[in-house]
Parts: sequence; structure tokens; C-alpha cells
Amino acid sequence: MLRCFHCTLMLLLAPLSALAGEQPHFTLLTSGGKQLRVVSELSPLALNRIHSWRLYLTDADGAPIRGADISITGGMPDHDHGLPTRPRLTGEPEPGAYLLEGLRFHMPGRWRMHFSIALDGDPDSASLEFEL
Amino acid sequence: MSKTPAVVGALALAALLIWLLAPAPLPERWSDSETALIASLSLSALPTLAPDPGNAVADDERAARLGHRLFFDARISSNGAVSCAHCHRPEIAFSDGLPIAVGTGVGQRNTPGLIGIAYSPWFYWDGRRDSQWAQALAPLETHFEQGAGRGAVARLLAEDSAYQAMYRELFGELPPAEQIPRHASPGGNEAAQSQWRSLDPALQASIDTVFANAGKALAAYQRKLMPGRGRFDDYADRVAQDGAVRQDDLLSRDELEGLRLFIGEAQCVNCHNGPLLSNHDFHNTGILPVAGQMPSMGRFDGVEEARRDAFNCLGEFSDAAPGQCLELRFARDDSELAGAHKTPGLRNVVRTAPYMHTGAFATLAEVLEHYNEAPVAMLGHNEAKPLGLSRRKLRRLEAFLHSLDAPPDTAPQWLAPPGARR
Repeated sequence: MLRCFHCTLMLLLAPLSALAGEQPHFTLLTSGGKQLRVVSELSPLALNRIHSWRLYLTDADGAPIRGADISITGGMPDHDHGLPTRPRLTGEPEPGAYLLEGLRFHMPGRWRMHFSIALDGDPDSASLEFEL
Repeated sequence: MSKTPAVVGALALAALLIWLLAPAPLPERWSDSETALIASLSLSALPTLAPDPGNAVADDERAARLGHRLFFDARISSNGAVSCAHCHRPEIAFSDGLPIAVGTGVGQRNTPGLIGIAYSPWFYWDGRRDSQWAQALAPLETHFEQGAGRGAVARLLAEDSAYQAMYRELFGELPPAEQIPRHASPGGNEAAQSQWRSLDPALQASIDTVFANAGKALAAYQRKLMPGRGRFDDYADRVAQDGAVRQDDLLSRDELEGLRLFIGEAQCVNCHNGPLLSNHDFHNTGILPVAGQMPSMGRFDGVEEARRDAFNCLGEFSDAAPGQCLELRFARDDSELAGAHKTPGLRNVVRTAPYMHTGAFATLAEVLEHYNEAPVAMLGHNEAKPLGLSRRKLRRLEAFLHSLDAPPDTAPQWLAPPGARR
């Protein structure tokens, strides 16, 4: 149901997990060269269900990056509106693994998400587009 | 003089009319994305109703029986004449057939139907309550809805022997009836508020608890009101098997064309999605205010009221852990919500006229005409864009909506007052 059809310059790969039973996930390259792996805890990703994502932030060598402040904005560029909820980071349950709670998608179509990453005052970002 | 030019002209005109008026042939198969969308609208895709973490008795049959009795009881109103069923009439999908609700007074908005509404995370057109049980309490303290006040509700449960027994079995002891002032309410008129303030805090807390439990029972009853399968659902399930369009007796040609418009050119499915044909979210669609009312801020104000509500998911009367109150904790509250109102489900839409939160449109044809024009909103911005569909296409969309209708999938005893002869 979910497929990435467009990847921005900041995005390395955004394939939907194709394997049955695997959680929907994307792997993004931040503008600062870090890797951000985005995994949906709702599988398969579906409309109108509030859920969480796990964000795994690593450096170019794959080492977890702790203590980052990540905020998310997003919406539907074709409909000129934002997200129906206000998701936010609520913790870092494992080093470099962040819990993003409060996501819900309420329309079929193209969604664009933007991750702003602050680490020791150093801003970084990544973007993701997918179709639901 | 030869008649050939006239004949040719007539034939050309006839051909033009046929081209203009006859529908283009339907394809033999829906595309993969259309097939997936159609399947997603079937009631077969409706998940089992999830528990309400804030309501520990949400799926308790005893609570449903108590709620059923309360729902049809006019004694929970200030004038003793307005039950919940007064405005939520079972025979018209629990709506009332009026543009604006009339309870103990004239209300402010159109009465929504209740079939399947338990699936919504938000209640009221502006989402000012975050659970069905919290919603059930609000009319009881709103002077133009039922307006009995929590004192009157708690007193009734404590002094009516049938209610008393049902309540105790579920929730335990009630305060002695004679200690509960009938007119005490923090949400009532000045006298009711004054009486409420004069009560011992422990008694206030007891009354609040009884009141909250009444709401939980009412919600348990309303969770029984489930949509029934319409012709569309049988059709959608067959499409899901093989993607074939099938012009046969399940859906008429006009209904099929309407379905194609619904999921395509008319973009209805953007918001009217899922098996209940609602995303349960909030959108500004440029509806004019009710005459004599200020424009409604809609969800912009609604979310703030839900946060302030003492009976919300995070409140002391909720059975939920804070971590379970996701919708409330992560609710959006920005200015884009100005004038936004909840997307209603469409399962029984042919029975629930008039339409929109203002009840402004008497017919579905008027609703569709509104979306076709997508006028500029008085407040905020209209998210819908003009569709520019022909009259014939609008009629087909309306035809499709009829294919969704069906009696509720609810046992008959729940659709009439307790003990009523059927």
C-alpha cells in the first residue's frame, strides 16, 4: 500500500520494506551525511490510525548518535495542508534510537515529512516522501 | 430539392447528442489503485472496535444495558422531556431530521447520526470531546440540549431502584440519594453553580464519579450501533477478488459511475475514506455560518475545550494510563484548524438529512453542488477546490451514496427503548 516514489537530494534510499511481515521502513541520508533509519511501528502503514515511528540515527560509519533533538513537520504538498496531528519525540529508549509518537495519516496520496535534527547546536535535516 | 443535407444534419446532431449524453463505457477492470481503494471502503475492512482505554466498562454488556436505559430516559433533562433518543432517533440512523438540534432549547449545530461513530477518536463537529463517554456527558449539562446537570443524573441513579441495582453491580456504591442536590451542577445556571460550590468536596467527587460512570454506560450502549452491509460492500468484496468492474445487478450503471467519481475525479475519498467513509478528522469546507451565529472556529476551539474537559482521557475519571491518550496528547492546535469541522461518515447518509454541521443543505444534491463550487470560506480557507462536474456526474455521485445504505448491524432490542414491544 505504501511506496516511496520520490526521493529528495537529502534522501539516500526510501524503499518500503518489501518483505512480508517486515515493518515499513525508510533509510535516509541527512544533509550533514548522517543516516536516519525510519521504522513504522504500525505495520502495514494504514490511514487513520495513530501510531509511533522509531528513528535510528547513526553516523557515516553506522555508530549510533545519542542525544539528538529531532523535530518533525510534514503534510500533503498536493493538498497544501500539514499533518493532522502534532507528532513529537518522546524519548531515546536505546542509544541513537528515538521514539516519535503521535503520527496519523488521514488521506490517501503523497505525504512529505521533514526531520530537523539538532546535535550540539549543529543543525541537520532529512526529508522523506511517500505515497499512502 | 434534395432532403439529404437535412437528414445528414439530423444524424450529425443525433450523434453529437449521443456523444454528449451517453455515458462513456466503463472499463472492464478497475486499476490496481482503484481496486485497493474500493476494497478499503468495504465494511469487510472495518477492524473490530478497539477497546476504549478510558472506559473500563466500554464492552461490558451490563454497562450497555444501563446505557440503553439511560439513552431513552427523558428524566435526564431539565424539563423531563428530552432523552438522548429525542435528538438521536433510531429510525433515521440516530439523527433527528432537523437542520439544527432542538432539545430543551434550540441548539447550535446539526445532530450527527451515531451509527459507527464509536470508531471516531473525536466527538462533536468540532472535536471538543475526546471519547464517546465524555461526549455523552456534555448534553446533560448543556442548557439547550438536556441540561439536567450532574446532580440530577446522579440523584436519578441513586433513587431509582432499577438504576441503583444496575449501577451497583457495575461500579459499586452510590452516595445516598437524599444527599445529592438535584439541581447542583458546576455547568448549570448561577443557582445550580452556587449550590454545587456549597457542597462538600468529597460529595462533589462522588457525584462526579457517578456522572462519569453514567457517561461510560451511555458509551457502552452506543458502541452497539454498528453499520450494516450495503450493496456496495458485496460489490467491493468481489472487486477485491479480481478487480473486475462487473456491470451487473449489485450496483447500477449510475452507481458504478458514481463510485468511479467518488474515488477519482470528485476526490471525495480524500476525506471520506476507510470503511466508514470518514477519516474522522477536521476540514474547512467553506460552509457559511448558521444565520444569527458567529462563524464557528470549529476544531481550533474544539481541541482547546477537549484539553480543558475534566472528563477527558487524561483526567481523574478516565480509566486510561496517560500513555494511552495518544490522540489528546498529540492533537494539533494550529490556525489551519480555524473553521474546520469533522468529516461525517457516509454509511447512512441518505437517511440523515439535512447536512453539514450547520444543517444548511436539505438534500445530498445541494451538498454535492456545494463541493462542486467550493466557495471561499468566511473563516480560514476552504480546503476543497472547485470540481466543475456536470449535473449528470453529480447525480451519479448521489446514486453511489445510496448503495452504501443499509439497516444497522445491531440487534433489534438496542434500537428501541428497553422493554419496548417490537
